[in-house]
Parts: sequence; C-alpha cells; structure tokens
Amino acid sequence: MSERDLKDPAAEEPRNETPETTPLHHDPAGVPTTLPTGVSHAGADQGGVTRRLLASFGPRRLSAVYLLIFFLILFRIIAPGTFLTGTTIQLVLGEGVVTCLIALAFLIPLAAGSYDLSVAASFAFSLAASIWITLHSGIPPVPGALIAVVVCGLIGAVNGFVIIKLRVNSLIATLAASQILLAAVLLISNNEQMVGSYPPKWAELGTGKAILGIPNDFIFLIAIAVLLWFVLEHTPIGRYLLATGGNPEAARLSGVPVDRMIWGAMVVAGVLAGIAGIVYSMRTGVFNASTGPGYLFPAITAVFLGASQISQRPNVWGTLIAYFALAFGVQGIRLTAESASVWINPAFQGVALIIAVAIASRQIGRRSYGI
Amino acid sequence: MAAELSDGATRAGSEMAPAVQVEGLTKSFPGTLALDHVDLEIRRGEVHALVGHNGSGKSTLIKTLAGLHEQDEGTISVLGGEPAAISSPAQARELGLRFVHQDLGMIDMLSAVVNLALGRGFDTGFAGHIRSSREIAAAKEHLAELGYEFDMRAPVGELSAAQKAGLAIARAIYDWEEACLLVVDEPTAALPSGETDGLFRAIDRARAKGLGILYVSHRLEEVFRISDRVTVLRDGRRVGTYPTSELDKDKLIGLMLGGEQLEAHARRGEEGERRDGLLVARGLRGAVIEDLDLDVAGGEVLGVAGLTGSGREEILRLIFGAQPRGGKVQVGGETLTPDDPRAAMRAGISMVPADRHGDGCIEPLSVRFNATLTDLGRNTNRFGALRRRQELAEVNRWIERLDIRPRRAENEFALLSGGNQQKVVMAKWLRLSPKVLLLDEPTQGVDVHSKAVLHNLAREVASNGAAVLVASSDDEELVDICDRVIILRDGRLVGELTRPQVSLEAISRMEIDFSAEELDPRPIS
Repeated sequence: MSERDLKDPAAEEPRNETPETTPLHHDPAGVPTTLPTGVSHAGADQGGVTRRLLASFGPRRLSAVYLLIFFLILFRIIAPGTFLTGTTIQLVLGEGVVTCLIALAFLIPLAAGSYDLSVAASFAFSLAASIWITLHSGIPPVPGALIAVVVCGLIGAVNGFVIIKLRVNSLIATLAASQILLAAVLLISNNEQMVGSYPPKWAELGTGKAILGIPNDFIFLIAIAVLLWFVLEHTPIGRYLLATGGNPEAARLSGVPVDRMIWGAMVVAGVLAGIAGIVYSMRTGVFNASTGPGYLFPAITAVFLGASQISQRPNVWGTLIAYFALAFGVQGIRLTAESASVWINPAFQGVALIIAVAIASRQIGRRSYGI
Repeated sequence: MAAELSDGATRAGSEMAPAVQVEGLTKSFPGTLALDHVDLEIRRGEVHALVGHNGSGKSTLIKTLAGLHEQDEGTISVLGGEPAAISSPAQARELGLRFVHQDLGMIDMLSAVVNLALGRGFDTGFAGHIRSSREIAAAKEHLAELGYEFDMRAPVGELSAAQKAGLAIARAIYDWEEACLLVVDEPTAALPSGETDGLFRAIDRARAKGLGILYVSHRLEEVFRISDRVTVLRDGRRVGTYPTSELDKDKLIGLMLGGEQLEAHARRGEEGERRDGLLVARGLRGAVIEDLDLDVAGGEVLGVAGLTGSGREEILRLIFGAQPRGGKVQVGGETLTPDDPRAAMRAGISMVPADRHGDGCIEPLSVRFNATLTDLGRNTNRFGALRRRQELAEVNRWIERLDIRPRRAENEFALLSGGNQQKVVMAKWLRLSPKVLLLDEPTQGVDVHSKAVLHNLAREVASNGAAVLVASSDDEELVDICDRVIILRDGRLVGELTRPQVSLEAISRMEIDFSAEELDPRPIS
C-alpha cells in the first residue's frame, strides 16, 4: 500500500469538483492486480455501454414487459376481433388509473419497509366523503375533494402514529385501520349507494381527452408517477426511504431520520389513496359499500411484481409496467373465455402475486422491503 | 504428565471410564490451525475447566464435541465407547453430551415449562393434549433438584438472568440418567457478578449426579472456585491439564499467556497535534458499563480492550447514541443529546459499527448508495436533486483511495468481500471528516491486506487531529495501532496503558486477571 493512496483521506475531500472522466488505475506495488472476470473498473462507462444496455433491457430486469408483449401477441391470435382494439385498450388504461394510484400509495411506505394495507379503504373513504360533501353540504366539488384528500393524509398520519409511537407492526396497524375506515364509510353512506351530484364538467375533468386523445386522468397518473419517481430515485428523501426499507437500524446509525421517513411515507400513502378516490369520482361519481377492498389486491401484486423489475427494489415504473402487463392478461382471458369472466380475475391475481414475490425475493434475496 | 497423576480434587467415579476422552483432535480452517492434536479427558463427577485466551481454540473444541464441526484428525470416545467422530448435534445428544451455550437458547415469550420441553417434547395424554399440571410439577421438581424455585408458568423473559441460566442447565440435563457430559460455555458472561452462587450450586448438584462437567469461562476466579481440574489451551494446543488445587492465579495466567512477549510493532505516523479533552465522557452508563469517565485527545488513537461481556462491545455505541446511555458526553466542550446518532454526527462523531451486516450497511443497495448515505446534501443541486455524476465521482475517488475491489460504484454492496465492505463503511464515515472516529471491531472478518489499509487509515485520521477510539477483541490490533489502551472488566475501567507500556501481555493480563489493579504492568523496552 503506497502512502499517497491514503494521503489525507478525511480532510481534503473536495466538495464541488467536476466529475472525473478518466479515473486513475494505478495498482500499488505488492497488491494483486487481478480483478474478478467480467467486472469492469470504476467509471468504465465508456467500455460497457452495450453490455449495460443489454443488462438494462434484458429479461431479468424487464420480465414484465416481455410478459406484456407475450399477452398482447397471444390474445391477438386467440381473439383477433376484440383484443387489440381501441375499446379494449381504453378500457384497460381507464380501469388502471385508480388501481395504479392505489398501487403507488402502497409503494411509498413499502420502500421504507412498511406495509399500508389501508390504502384501498382510504380510497373508499375519500370517494364516499367527497360524494357525501356534494350531497349534504354547499361546498363545491373542488374544495370538497381537497377536504377528502387532506383527511386521507391525516388518516396516514394516524397510521404513522400507531406504527411509530405505539409500536404496532405496520401490517397489523393498517389492517386494523382499514376496518375502522370501513366503519366510517358505512356510517357516511348509511350502507346505501350514493350518487354524487357533480356538474358535468367534473366528469370531463377526469375522462376528457385534452392531449392526443389520452384520458386526462391517465396523464394525471403519469404526472404523479414522474413526481414520485423523481423523489424516490433522485432526491435525498428517496434515498432515505430506500435505506430505511433496506435496513432500518443501519439507516438510523447513518443519520437517517427513520421514524420521520416512515411517518411521512404513511401520510403520502394516505394522500395518494385520497387522490385515487377523487379520480374515481370523476369516472363514475357513484359509491356503493362494496367499492374499495377489491382494489387492494391488484395494487399489491403490481408493486411486488414491479419490485422484481428494473432496479430490483420497489420502484415506480416497475409497478406501472407490472400492473398493465397483468391487466392486459386478465382482459385477454376475459374476452376469450366468457364463462370465466367472474372468477378469473381473483385467480389470476392470486397466482400472479405468489409468482411476483417469489421472483422478487429471489432477486432481492434478503429480508428487506417487506419481502 | 505429573499433573494428571495427583488426583486429590476429583470425586468418586474416577475409577470408571471417563465421561469423554478426546485424543489427538485436530481441526484447521483456511489459514489457521484451530486445534492441534489436543487431548482431553473429562471424568465422571468432576468439573473440568477449559481456559485459554481469545483464539486459543476453546470454542472450536466445544463445537467439535457438539457435532457442529468435523475434525480433520483425532477421535472422541464417550464412556469408554468406540473412538469416533461426532458428525451431528443429534448424534452428540444421543451419546449423552449436553450443552449450555452462552446465549442459553431460551424463547423469552414462552414459559419455563414450555422452554424445558423444547427439543424434548411434551408429556401428552389422550389425543395429544399436553398434560399441563404434570408438566409443571415435573419442571418444578427438576429445578428444585438444582436448587431453584420460581414460577414455572411465567414467561422466561420475566426471569432473572440467574434463573434463566438455571433453567438452561435444567433443560440440558433433564434426562440426566442418559447424559454423561454437561458442557457449560461462558455461563456467567450475562450474569451480574453477585448472582453466580445459584449457578455454582446447580453445577455442584449436576456433578453429584455423576456427570462430567466441562466448564468454559473467562473469569478465573470462577475456575478456582468450582473446578477440580483445569486444561489450558494456547494457540490451538493443549498446554497441560492440572488439578486446580496445584495452581494459583499467577501460574494459571502464565500458562495461558505462555510468557511470550510479542514485539509491539508501532505503525505510528508522524506525531499529530494533540488537542486535549476533545472527547469527554463523564459517568457513562449502559447495560453493562457503570459510571465510566473518559478523556480522549485529538491526535491520539485510544484502544478499548476487554473480554466479551466487559462492556467493550457497548462503549462506542453509548458514545454515539446508538443505544440508550446515562451520563454526559461532550465533543469540544459541547454536550451531546443522548440516544441520538444524528446529534452525534452533527457534533463530528463517526462510528463504524461492529456488526457490519446488521448496523453498518444496506446490503441490497449499491456501493454508491451506501457510501454517500451519511451526507447526501453535498451532492445535490440547488433544487435538492442529487447530482448523480458528482456523487459517482466522489465515490470513485474513495474507491481509488481505499483500494476497494472490484472498482465499481454500482455494484451491489452484498457482493463485495468482507474487507472491501468494511472499506466502503469506512469511506462512508471518513467522508464526513470526523473530529472523533469510533471504530468498533474495525477488522473483524477482514483479510490481512484490508486490515493493513484500515489500520493505516485510523492512524492517519488521528495524525490529522481527530480523536480515534478503537474497541477490539483483537488485542494485537490494539497493540499495533494505539497510543493508549484502556481495559474494561465487568463494566468498569480496570487499567490504562500508555506507550511504551502497551503490549499484548500487559493487555491480556489486565483483561483476565481479577486483581490486576495490584500488578504493575511491565513496560517493554
């Protein structure tokens, strides 16, 4: 080990130095210079571009995309008349917006290693509350929706309190919270169907096609996804969340405010679930007591299958890709086997979740991110 | 050997075949010979103490008896039976060997009755129902035989450490008619020093039943109190077996250390500027540590030595706030908020934790993520977004400086070797330019080359004016890099050595000797 290598490592760390494009590779005398095969040197971006591209787009990292392509081709052949039509695509994308928002709501706490099983119940609560406001108060839809979303954020804060301060395991805390929310929803709706009194413009806000014939709410979903992706992958807060989910004790000892991260993630989950409720109210404007629980499962499946995609940990684009791959699969089976249409969805989702977690746990390999 | 002929201390039963006869036991691991033709005879009805310093081969010997390691050479014969190897824990049990390990292996949530039944099975009646009252009565009886009395239905977590130890022994020899050897490995490590009486009574009664007992402990006073004979191991070899009555403390320590005096190889850089009182602790208290005062100057490397259970494992965690502490810790005159690692970091403290996997890193994330986690702010732009290229450049500089291999910042942390992982953890803390660097077992499970790199780094950080604390079970490491070494025993400071007094022998002596205060550490010239 030559002395200059170790010269002053602590003190002279430059702060805003321009990135080195050609790092030095001097190997000090007396040190074995053989590196494991197939491993390039630091910053060897120049040489490994092709390999890196191949690695990024290989089936190991994007299995859900290959799955999606497989479904598209399969059902194009089996059901040429109905499958790859504009209607089917519109239907799947449209149905997907709400589920994807709920999936993203589940994703954020999971990145911090906590489960939020109350996201579907929060979604139902938001929907019921915002409809109730249009029926029983003079508050216009927009502030009404805002109130519902804020309340959902507060629900997330209460979840955080129960997890952090009362030290209840997140799985149990949010499972219990979803029951309490169910009670609240039954109370609001009197266990009856509620039809919101929205102006026609309200539905237009969600389902209108302002850009390129794409529904507004789908664009809204993508905007939220971009925002979450940016925060999760490109800001210190995202790093803190992922560190917390990866190993909370090590994160704490590295100066990560672990409790605040989990708490904040629960609030964000509540807000996203609340937004999902508002988007749903733009689509149908109708609430009945069975709305909600059915959305939890496909959302969780998408997040876990998504966690086996791209970066091999919970991530935004993996979640969306995984959701749509499965959604097109379900839709294809529905169209080709009419009698199967009712039971096929839960069966498909159940099998998909097991496969998704099996893949994810093989790739992540250690107990982290709730897997 | 003359020592084995005199037989005054052993009890009845020595005419019978010994409980266990070990001959020529040899076991090597890559790079070390852990056991080198070790012979050991444990008679029925004797307490046989096994002593030796860290790394002398005690635990390898016990694991081989337990069927957890397979020996390269040598045989084990039980009750005069066929000499053979023990290939599995189940076989060890069948032969009548029983073990009480240091962690006791109790499930705190369950009752004493259920813990007793674990691994043995319940007394069941019709349709497999557990005969609870019978179980409780039987459990009571077994513990009463060992001199214990407590509520058998209470969760084990509510029992005292001494009661738990008793329960562990009761479980090990529940079917003592079928047992012939009880191995007790460091049973008092978790016990407060006053609570050992019950344990010794239990061991005494097990001996009275005719079992052979192999007693492993760092605490020499216990060896003198309870054992009939002592076998001393050093560097994987048996030094000898002696009747306890023929030994005294000085003789025993001499046998353990072998009188060898290893050269202290000072790897000290140029003398840094000393800044007295940079880190000050007053009345520091933790789970083991009681009322400890500490003064560390900037520019010095202070070692913390002590056997397992001495408080060495927690001292740095207490200072950093990784676990709750009592007392006051100051850096540069400023008092730190307790139990808050972030406050410690703001005050300029860095800590490389002992448990790398549990506390030091986030294994599924990349080297880059791990290395920069301690301060992400320096690589962000004014909108708070991370500058990936700048971050990568910084990580690559550390990879170069610390010679981390393979040289890829995007590698998953878990894929690196132990030594390289530790270098990443070191980089993560050095990049904060700490005023105080706490290194907890910095080179455990680390290869020789990385060890040298890490040692040099510790010296350099000190010569740049930081206070460096190294807590290590590897005394040689402390001799190599420290200016000053403090020695802990049972949570208290029992000695301090300053260069040139720092030597392996002096440290070891103070770690194991229960009256080292009276001894003068002999300086090495």
